[in-house]
Amino acid sequence: MSGHRSTRILAFTTCLLMFLSFFFGGCGKKEDEPVTPTKEPYKVGAVLSISGPNAPLGTPEQRAIRLFEKEINAKGGINGHPLEVIIEDDESDPAKASTAVTKLITQMNVLAVVGSSGTGTTLAMSPIVEREQVPLVSCAAGAQITNPINKWVFRTPPTDTMALQKVLEYLKNTVKVTKVAVLHDANAFGTGGADALQAQAPNYGIQVIARESYGSTDTDMTGQLTKIKQTAAQALVVWGTNPGPAVVAQNMKQLGITIPYVGSHGIANKKFIELAGSAADGVVFPAGRLLIPSSIPKNSAWRKAVDRFAAAYKKEYQLEIDTFAAHGYDAIAMVAEAIKKAGPDRAKIRDEIEKLKGFVGIDGVYNYSPTNHDGLTADDLIMIKIVNGKWTEEKS
Amino acid sequence: MKQSVEKSKVKAKRCENKYKNFAIASVLILIVPLWARFIPGNLIHMDIVNVMALAGIYSCAVIGLNLLIGYAGQISLGHAAFFGIGAYSVAILSTRYPGFPAWLGIIIGAIISCAISWIVGKPVLKLKGHYLAMATLGLGEIGFIFFREATGITKGTVGIIAIPPLSIFGIVIDSDFKIFYVVWITVLLLMLFSMNLIKSRFGRALRALHSSEIAAEAAGVNTSKYKTVVFVMSAVFTAVGGGLFAVFQRYVNPESFHFSVSILFITMVVVGGLGNLWGAVIGSIIITFLPSIISALPYWFPFMPESLTNFGNYTLVLYGILLIVFMIFMPKGIAYALEISYSSALRGMKRIRDRISAMRYTKRK
Amino acid sequence: MVLIIVTLALKKSTGLQWILSGLTVGSIYALMAMGFSVIFSSTRVINFAQGEFSMLGGMLMYTFSNRAGIPALYSFILSVLIVTLIGAGFERLVIHPLKKPSVITIILITIGLSIFFRAAAKWIWGTDTLAIAPFSGDKPFKLLGATLVPQSLWIFGFTLLTVVLMFIFFNRTILGKGMRAAAENPEAATLVGVSPPATSLVAWTIAAALGASAGIIIAPIKFVSFDVGVMLGLKGFASAILGGLGYAPGAVVGGLSLGVLETIVAGVFPSGYKDAVAFLVLVIVLLLRPQGILGRQEKLE
Repeated sequence: MSGHRSTRILAFTTCLLMFLSFFFGGCGKKEDEPVTPTKEPYKVGAVLSISGPNAPLGTPEQRAIRLFEKEINAKGGINGHPLEVIIEDDESDPAKASTAVTKLITQMNVLAVVGSSGTGTTLAMSPIVEREQVPLVSCAAGAQITNPINKWVFRTPPTDTMALQKVLEYLKNTVKVTKVAVLHDANAFGTGGADALQAQAPNYGIQVIARESYGSTDTDMTGQLTKIKQTAAQALVVWGTNPGPAVVAQNMKQLGITIPYVGSHGIANKKFIELAGSAADGVVFPAGRLLIPSSIPKNSAWRKAVDRFAAAYKKEYQLEIDTFAAHGYDAIAMVAEAIKKAGPDRAKIRDEIEKLKGFVGIDGVYNYSPTNHDGLTADDLIMIKIVNGKWTEEKS
Repeated sequence: MKQSVEKSKVKAKRCENKYKNFAIASVLILIVPLWARFIPGNLIHMDIVNVMALAGIYSCAVIGLNLLIGYAGQISLGHAAFFGIGAYSVAILSTRYPGFPAWLGIIIGAIISCAISWIVGKPVLKLKGHYLAMATLGLGEIGFIFFREATGITKGTVGIIAIPPLSIFGIVIDSDFKIFYVVWITVLLLMLFSMNLIKSRFGRALRALHSSEIAAEAAGVNTSKYKTVVFVMSAVFTAVGGGLFAVFQRYVNPESFHFSVSILFITMVVVGGLGNLWGAVIGSIIITFLPSIISALPYWFPFMPESLTNFGNYTLVLYGILLIVFMIFMPKGIAYALEISYSSALRGMKRIRDRISAMRYTKRK
Repeated sequence: MVLIIVTLALKKSTGLQWILSGLTVGSIYALMAMGFSVIFSSTRVINFAQGEFSMLGGMLMYTFSNRAGIPALYSFILSVLIVTLIGAGFERLVIHPLKKPSVITIILITIGLSIFFRAAAKWIWGTDTLAIAPFSGDKPFKLLGATLVPQSLWIFGFTLLTVVLMFIFFNRTILGKGMRAAAENPEAATLVGVSPPATSLVAWTIAAALGASAGIIIAPIKFVSFDVGVMLGLKGFASAILGGLGYAPGAVVGGLSLGVLETIVAGVFPSGYKDAVAFLVLVIVLLLRPQGILGRQEKLE
């Protein structure tokens, strides 16, 4: 019996150690103290998906927001008030996002909220910010966020609809096809994209003759692809985020399917090339211009902003910028700009965001109005082709 | 004869005690919003009323699941689907037909859940152990895929937005304060029902079933019927929770009804205490508050490392460890531990009182 | 079987393609299912963390071969060794001290373990999907109008090897026979010199090693990320039950049928429902034949 007990104690200690090791695993990374505040800080909340499936989006957004906070406070804050960003993690879960935003608004009294990273989490927050009358600037691209327009909700990234327009223009004008097949992830991003594609394609004289989907964690899409192979599709549009589209690229190569592969902005990252390997060559996808800064007119304010941000981001984190970092940076910069004009008043901050015109961000130049809460247009995007594992601008 | 009268008196007294405890617990819960609002937000860094309301919503499901797992000894790894049925019933009805009362949606959700769980439960509950676990898991997964794929009905992964708030007797339940009371009054009603249920003949049959199905069968308990009934009941409780979830969140998408949510419910049951009614409520409260507490820790203890703010990582680690630790060391859960410490504290108090009076007695002598 | 013939007859080369792809996916499931089977056949325990062993195997392989630059073979051995130690350690520390756990207890503990591994992996490796290079190139070759990547052959080969070894171990060696006996009647097994605690340790060790090697072999086509174990575990468990729990050939039959079924369903029906069909078939099989396709009629508890 006592032997039994000692094993139990041993087991308990092990569990305790496992637990403790996790708590102290990340020790020793203390942030630099911000510049000493002179006036009361302006508090802004951010709800981001720092963990969960959307973590690859939320993590760079968090970095960019922290970078902006540091930069603006080094310059003396907003009208002398330091900016304090309170970041909450929603774990990519809509229920947690609504808890987090409620807490930020009712308990922390933030002036505005940035986030969330995903469409689902943003949609969960919308009714709350509307009820509490707090401006929200989302970093998510789903069309439903601003359609219909919620008076209190804005967004920074180019929408999925814009990316789709770009893809359709490319298919019509450059590839010159009339029949396409679509293969999409069964998640919100993929389904939303495929729905919009089917709805808009006829406007470009394009017919969607096959539509298939796959689960986000599927290993094999040959079943769907052989079905598509038998149709008369002249191009394949793949709408999803990693790793699905990489599997599709590999399976297409395996099956010897040679029709053009047009992806979504969900694969606008180096990860896709890493996963798909040589199968990535020839894949074309829409993305923000910031990924190939040379596509932005030289000496324009936008180009300068991108170059400066890329340098600062690299210096701070030893990382290249990506589109998500840009979404986060633009969102917080916009809120700071509005606070600067409006002062600490939620309703006035909202009005100022809506009045922003020609605001130079990293994703593009933003213009908002009461009927447009998107800010950007399809022209802020380019098509990128992967050639020998490198991105090149595909001019149309 | 005299003895039996005596016995029934004791029984009545215990009954009274039960209700007294119930009343105390209810009051303790219902006064939460009254004191919570006086605590400044930048002191505790969490919205107690909001999190409590969510905990109450999960409680509905967890009370039901506890009846199934803790009392009848049958596992289900697919209850998130019933949670989803409740939520989607409200969401679909009240967005498709403007003006459709949300409370009716909750009832309809419960009825649909009742029907489905009855149809499914009868054959599936013939299975035991791992086979039952797999079957319920499979059914839960089918439910999840339905929510995701039947875009014509559920709007798929995009989810249903702008669900109108609940309104009862003309009062629009649009604030966390109001929804807190709606949720917790529902929970307390479910508790009251369950308390009476487990004291009844039905409850005794369930416990017999738990300890040995064959013995229960031999003693004349229609095990198949009892198992199905308790399964249906737990499904209905869970659907009610789901309906409240829809009007609380006012947005639903399939992610909230994934397999991991079934596991979340089970974690709550286990942490609170298998086969302990109040355990379900305590478990829900603890697990729901866990992420909020962990995210608030850096504010309470400013010397903690910055990396702790990314709390999503540890909550999961914690869930895992909690499950293992509780199953090994406290299989009866926190509620049981509380009961034990409460009664031992009472005993300790009594002992001290006895000693004091004994001392007085000797002194006087 | 019938399904395969009908598909072949109707669709010719496309059908063959589906079946080949299905067999690749199915072999993955079969490997997972055998992991479940090993532990179940000797201890009557279902290990819900089996998929996580594979995830850890793949992750460690990535770390050793892609990050540290250790040659593939050594990385493979090192990764499998570490995961095996973790599996054995867990059995000693957590499963062993529980004398006679109920089914629910075991399910919940192993679910807790899988959540813990997942969270720990996310912590260490982040949420990125990682790729491991195929063992022998990625040039597909043709077979009667259908195509196959070389990694599939590795998977087929490994599955075949595993099932043969398992069969020999459980039917021809004394330890293996003793382990099966221990599950059926612990007291009697003790009398003839097989100790159930040792059995349990051996079973967990084999399962962890098997899970880790499977995770590494499938990584080039499946990729690996912290959450890859969930679906693997789920499908593996489903396959094990489908084929007959605790019986290695059953695990293979279950895995292959599930894999082929899924691919054909994805090819014929709207592909989003493929998992639903897989689970529906599973539930129906469970209801009609709880002992699985190949499982022998045994007393269920």
